[in-house]
Amino acid sequence: MPVIDVVNLSKAFGKKVVLDGVNLSVEEGESLVVLGGSGSGKTVLLRCVLGLFRPDAGHVAIEGRTVQDLDREQLSEVRKSIGMCFQMAALFDSMSVEENVGFALMRHTRMTLDERAARVAECLNMVGLKDTQKLRPAELSGGMKRRVGFARAIALKPKILLFDEPTTGLDPVMTDVIGKIILDLKAQMGVTSITITHDLKSAFEIADRIAMLFQGKCLAVQKPDDFKANPHPVIQQFLRGDAEGPFLQDPPPPVRERRTLQPNPTP
Amino acid sequence: MLQSLLQQLGAKILEIITETGDFVTVSGRSFISIFKRPFDGRNLLYQLSAVGVNSIPVVVLTSLAVSMVFAVQLSYGFKQFQAEGLAGQVEGLAVVRELAPVITGLMMAGRVGSAMAAELGTMQVTEQIDALECLATDPVQFLFVPRLLASAIMLPLLTGMAIFVGFLGGYVLLVGVQGQSAYVYSQDFYKLVSFRDLVIALTKGLVFGLIIALVGCWRGYRTRGGAEGVGNAPTSSVVTSSLWILVSDFFLTKLLLV
Repeated sequence: MPVIDVVNLSKAFGKKVVLDGVNLSVEEGESLVVLGGSGSGKTVLLRCVLGLFRPDAGHVAIEGRTVQDLDREQLSEVRKSIGMCFQMAALFDSMSVEENVGFALMRHTRMTLDERAARVAECLNMVGLKDTQKLRPAELSGGMKRRVGFARAIALKPKILLFDEPTTGLDPVMTDVIGKIILDLKAQMGVTSITITHDLKSAFEIADRIAMLFQGKCLAVQKPDDFKANPHPVIQQFLRGDAEGPFLQDPPPPVRERRTLQPNPTP
Repeated sequence: MLQSLLQQLGAKILEIITETGDFVTVSGRSFISIFKRPFDGRNLLYQLSAVGVNSIPVVVLTSLAVSMVFAVQLSYGFKQFQAEGLAGQVEGLAVVRELAPVITGLMMAGRVGSAMAAELGTMQVTEQIDALECLATDPVQFLFVPRLLASAIMLPLLTGMAIFVGFLGGYVLLVGVQGQSAYVYSQDFYKLVSFRDLVIALTKGLVFGLIIALVGCWRGYRTRGGAEGVGNAPTSSVVTSSLWILVSDFFLTKLLLV
């Protein structure tokens, strides 16, 4: 039985159809990377998995439990087994790093203060942020915020980790660092994960399988090598990063005439 | 033309019904969540300080100013009938029954309700409320309950304080400036006021506290649209809660004075 099972998932906002019959399944310990253009419904997919959005049709099942059929208490129990890493970290800005990372421990465990402090330090070590407990989110760089977000997500030792564009807006070195941290977490915790990213380098490093969303539909779910070789023009254009092709839903930007510099004619 | 107008009217009515339903549902969830565990005592203490202690200067100043202005008006008005002696009695009645609870409620709607809407609105647009959900924490329980309890506890206390400051404001004006006897003023202030009036004032404080917290939190919780939404939430919260304070004041007065 897959740990995460997305069946015929559809979601629209007004007239805009964001997801249109998406089917995906993620097995235990597997790392699925979801690619797609901006506005292709990747984040909406994650929000449906978490039960933050209610699908218009279809369903998401976590370990066999259909998310939208659960009441608030049952959904809370399911969410304790999921760690979510937000695109912009979504740290609680009124709390310190320690309080952010220890938030779920404080709410859902009977740990003593010392045990909680030890677990927070352990989580921060795992993401390479030793001795940052007393800092406030406003004092952290973008990359550090993401890593604190990771530490907060893994504090309860979840079975599932969801990453929403963890490298967007970071420099190439920090992008690589984040990619390596995700790989380390996968190796150390053996979690099942879904990662949404635009960064192809880390996508191919992280992924056991890659899915591609386009116009609300899932074009392919394949192993990285098979995905690279997939002849679908949208996938090939996305991998090449070209402006021209079927990927852009709006007309592509106008092609400017290439003008070569001519030497001034001599009078 | 007419069809389009009717469609717009219908859409607006539906929107109002939907919003009212949502507000009632979220308010109901807030009251139920008071009895749920874990109870966040530290957060409640922080909110008691933010709602109550930090509001003392504002409530003192407004209550003092309003009671003094009212004393001037009473003194001037009653002078025309050579009945200056009644000013202290009417001052007491007005401060206890209306001025203290309503002025405190309106000031707190501006100071506390707007802050709640802005804080929760910012948390909403920066995905912090979604993060709470993902950490298996009910945002209504974590964010609404401490604010609701703090407002329900602190508004009656602040109303009581506003009554005392109102007494002092009248004292300064009628005794200090108009030259009435301090003993007579002190007796007159409470002459027309019964214990029931004090209970009514504190009950109004409690109801206004609930209105301020629920409207402020709900407006923030339902913020959409980035910076513009966060900007609109406090304004909308202050307008809505001020309106409801005035409307409920009328009905509470009618109901409790019978």
